[in-house]
Amino acid sequence: MRKKRKWSITPYLFIAPQLILFIIFFLIPAVVGIFAAFSKWNIYTDAAPIFNGLENFRQILTDSATSYYTMFRNGMSNTVHFVLISVPLCILVPLFMAVILSFKPWGHKFFQALFYLPNIFSISTVVLVWYYVYNRNEGLINNFLTGLLGKVVDINWLSEQPFAWTAIVIITVWWCLGGNLVIYLAAINGIPKDVMEAADIDGAGPFKRFLKITLPGIMPQISYTLILTTIGQFNLYGQSLMLTAGGPNNSTYTMMMYIRELAFGSSSVAGIAASMALMVGAVMIVVSLILNKLTAQKD
Amino acid sequence: MEKFKKHRIRIIALILCVLLTILCVTPMLFSFFTSVRSELEIMTGGFSFLPDKLTFENYKELFGSDYSASYPIMKWFGNSLFVALVQTVLVVLISSTSAYAYARLDFPGKNVLFWFLMATMTFPAVINIIPLYKICQTLGIIDTVWALILPNIAGVFNIFLIRQFMAGIPKELDEAAMIDGANKFQIYYRLILPLCLPVLIVVAMFAFTGAWNDYLWPSIVMNSVDKLTITPGMQRIKSSFNTMHGHAIAGGFISVIPTFIVYLFAQKHFMKGMQMQAGVKG
Repeated sequence: MRKKRKWSITPYLFIAPQLILFIIFFLIPAVVGIFAAFSKWNIYTDAAPIFNGLENFRQILTDSATSYYTMFRNGMSNTVHFVLISVPLCILVPLFMAVILSFKPWGHKFFQALFYLPNIFSISTVVLVWYYVYNRNEGLINNFLTGLLGKVVDINWLSEQPFAWTAIVIITVWWCLGGNLVIYLAAINGIPKDVMEAADIDGAGPFKRFLKITLPGIMPQISYTLILTTIGQFNLYGQSLMLTAGGPNNSTYTMMMYIRELAFGSSSVAGIAASMALMVGAVMIVVSLILNKLTAQKD
Repeated sequence: MEKFKKHRIRIIALILCVLLTILCVTPMLFSFFTSVRSELEIMTGGFSFLPDKLTFENYKELFGSDYSASYPIMKWFGNSLFVALVQTVLVVLISSTSAYAYARLDFPGKNVLFWFLMATMTFPAVINIIPLYKICQTLGIIDTVWALILPNIAGVFNIFLIRQFMAGIPKELDEAAMIDGANKFQIYYRLILPLCLPVLIVVAMFAFTGAWNDYLWPSIVMNSVDKLTITPGMQRIKSSFNTMHGHAIAGGFISVIPTFIVYLFAQKHFMKGMQMQAGVKG
């Protein structure tokens, strides 16, 4: 005796709070954000954004007389270089560690907890912990290298390239590896034991087993973490701001730093910043689509 | 022989783990030891891994009146605690009610709405930041805790996680409760919510640490020094680094205490949460 349910307000009451907040704090900003890219806008005045077509994009992309042109080129180039170097490391280092932990050495639970720990730190804490490590005279690294090599090592870690980027990449990997590590480890442990044992009996060594069984088995997780890590690294901000302040010579200035400064600086050129944000966003979407395509499982 | 082979690989793994631990932990230890040296010793003592004389004066002075005028660390700590706790409660409440409707109720437009929400997850947040500021300005909440809390509680991913979990609870339970005369709200609150505790803990912990560690957004919307949260506050402390190494690092360690405590007690849930997000069963 099934009756067609009559319309009820109850379900809508359950979804309403989230939906209202979502519209106000996500949907509207998203739509306005796209529109603002084609406008002239100062967020500190009450004036609404003034539509100016493709003018922002013209200035940013082609007008080498404006500082926006230089900023975008520099910021984009720095950010993309950082992504290209740090993303593979943020995948490979945790993958290597996950494989090691998957052999279940004594205390593996403890090691896992320890390797994950930096993940719960804020970027400020990460930088405060590492800043003195990089110190030129009293820092850990230079003094350690001096002791190791037996001659004075005097690297200017935070204000000379390529050391400044090296420093940023090191703390990024240190900070981020825990999350991916835990994901890979769970995925590896989820591979059926008998498959591994069968391969072992067939005489496949650890390296071959990794390539033939482990790697294909955790491909969905690699794909997922690859996309998420890439998107995350495009947002590089705190490391550069706090560790090197964008220096030396703006060589560690990132896209996010420029966007933030242009939009929220005292002479707020939010339209320009929104155009840059839209372009970075578009790059992020395209890159994640490509990565998704490349790593998709062929069934 | 077989047994030796198995152990051999575990021994190699253990050695590698120890080496990796040294790499991971040494910077933290070095900084911690620096924070328990006196500023005088840091300035004049040159490089040293261990402190000559252990002292907690840097930590004590951070809370003293001299320092707290320009770096009101206690205040920041309190602000962060308030924001993180309120945000956590609201996130759990709002995403669980929403997830309940999408998982267990029927209503016109349900699937369209749900998949629309899911599709927005791929939208790059960088595009939203500038208009979001304008909205908070229009609402008059700039430089208040609400500018930190409200934009961060409608997250779609949490709904997805909780809905997945709820979908695994047998529908018969709801029907039995209905026959007993419970209404939808009672079913959600009394029956489903307690059963979802594992996923709610995960959501709550990530909400808490996320709010605690948020850096860019608070540094944009908070202007007054004494209204800052601790993560952007620590950036101010860093500016004193040239003269006050020990204090700055001590500040870094203090600011991590709450998330560290949460992690100590709920470490398993963090791991489980990461696995849930990636869709693997641990």
